Amino acid sequence: MQQQVARGRATSSSAGESLKAAARARRGGGRSWSYTLTSWLGLVPFLLFCLLFEILPAIIIIQGSFSDDTTGAPTLDNYRHMFSSENIHAFQNSISISLVTALIGGGIGALAAYGVYNLRTGWLRNLLIGFSSIAANWAGVPLAFAFVATLGVTGFVTAALQNWLHFNLYNLGFSLYSFWGLVLVYVYFQLPLMILVTLPALSALRPEWREAATNLGASNFTYWRRVGLPILFPSLIGATMLLFANSFGAFATAYALAQGAINLVPIQMDYVVNGNVTVDFGLGNALAVGMIVVLLVAVSLYTTMLRRVSRWQGR
Amino acid sequence: MSQSGPSNITARATADVYTRPDQPGRPSRKAGRGFSLSKVVLILVVLYLVVPLGAALAFGITSGSRIDFSGLQRTFSNPDFGQTLLTSLELALATTIIMIVLVTPTVYWTHLRLPRARPLLEFLSLVPFAMPAIVLSVGLLQEYSGTSGPLINILSLGFVPFLNNTFNIINTPPLLVCAYVIIALPFVYRAIDNSLRSINTTVLTEAAYSLGSGWWRTFLTVILPNIWPGVISAALLTFSTVMGEFTLATLFTIYTFPIFLNSVGQNDPHQAASLSILSFLFTLICVLAIIVLVRFRRGGTGGIGGQVEITGTR
Repeated sequence: MQQQVARGRATSSSAGESLKAAARARRGGGRSWSYTLTSWLGLVPFLLFCLLFEILPAIIIIQGSFSDDTTGAPTLDNYRHMFSSENIHAFQNSISISLVTALIGGGIGALAAYGVYNLRTGWLRNLLIGFSSIAANWAGVPLAFAFVATLGVTGFVTAALQNWLHFNLYNLGFSLYSFWGLVLVYVYFQLPLMILVTLPALSALRPEWREAATNLGASNFTYWRRVGLPILFPSLIGATMLLFANSFGAFATAYALAQGAINLVPIQMDYVVNGNVTVDFGLGNALAVGMIVVLLVAVSLYTTMLRRVSRWQGR
Repeated sequence: MSQSGPSNITARATADVYTRPDQPGRPSRKAGRGFSLSKVVLILVVLYLVVPLGAALAFGITSGSRIDFSGLQRTFSNPDFGQTLLTSLELALATTIIMIVLVTPTVYWTHLRLPRARPLLEFLSLVPFAMPAIVLSVGLLQEYSGTSGPLINILSLGFVPFLNNTFNIINTPPLLVCAYVIIALPFVYRAIDNSLRSINTTVLTEAAYSLGSGWWRTFLTVILPNIWPGVISAALLTFSTVMGEFTLATLFTIYTFPIFLNSVGQNDPHQAASLSILSFLFTLICVLAIIVLVRFRRGGTGGIGGQVEITGTR
């Protein structure tokens, strides 16, 4: 009888529980620990891999940031170095470039995503989603060079503006190899990423909600202010955090574009660890911990927002 | 590639778009008629995305004002071109295989027998977001430098000293491949998890079990064919990520294709532009393959998502 109940429940519950219940019914409850044990044993290869190549590097960085590079004695010197003006400046640059590109990418990208969502022609929608996927995944060194070809000193657009409209971008103070130049390049991969991340959130907006609001006399504006945006809000914040993390860790693009002319944390880290002059892993570790802390804030905000979103998407 | 190759954040979003169980629904018919702000913005965004491509193409195949393929020819005749391309292809292939072999059975196993462990897997697959390639490489460089302390030796269950002493894996391609697997974890886990959720994993497995099939047989002949599009999407994204990865390869001083691209491009912008277009074409092929595959499966076999659907239990 009890077994039947267990089996009956099993079909409606989730995967593991059902099989576990079935197994328990088969063997009698007492030996279910061996089942649990074998279940965990199946995870061992994966967990071991993650331990060796994901968790331990993090531990070693944290440990190393608090110890002296040569003697290994505990020290706070690494952090003292990290708070030198040059490194603080790198953090300021990195955070502001990530914020600026996340906000630009997030705002414009969300509007563009709404444009894609509203397209009535299916093939055009799919084409744009496909193109966004490609553009978002095409970044780093090739992207930097494409922008040099576009807006560099002899770039295509720079030359076209010079020839046709007779004004020289570089005389006006613009430079691709500066903060705002880098912003332009980063926005290139942020925009399509925002489109990809926002589309699913938009499709969670049910047409019924809009109809209900309209029936109750809401204007388009009221609908967005009272219904649409409040529901989308967590998704948009979450997506913006993702964009922030995306550009905060960016290294290749900035490195290929400016060869270290712009002082960013990843560039600084590469210089400290990979430099020709001196190698200071202690400082590298401290910078890495700084990056992890900033990214943890962004990623945990992202996951918190995601949890809120799932309430509306019924997942 | 924002942080390394195509960034794992981007790749995860891409995987999500093509593998999520509930596909984006249709918008309400009412919206989007005629002129609207979002459409104008969309057009501007598309322009912004197309112009650098066009400029790179024009820049790559012209010199002065005439068509000139000599930049491309110079690239192809460079012996490093073929060699680094081969290195990158090998690395990408190795990463993809290890990734799929390691992650797919694990995620299936968790779905089936240990749903309790799913938060742990989710966590492990999100860690690379907080630990970008540059941070990971700094950690790995120290971990396998041979000077790791007793704490690490014990925590690693003796594996770190073992790998150090027996294989001396610091700065070798195998370690690079392992690092790439971690970088790719967020989107590969996501793609496979999504696919397993969109089919009725439990029921399929129970059916196979009751017909006398063992675990591996069920996995290989029942589950895997059903989540194939997700697995291939994950594989293609891994492949294109590794092909473009720059950060880890620089720090491990392994001469891969993106490093070749960078060193050539610093001196010759025309060659750089043509190589950029080549790399765009490569990304295009990978993403197109995902799209074609997912569409083909969805359209071809019928049912929701083209998967075997058994109704009633969900």
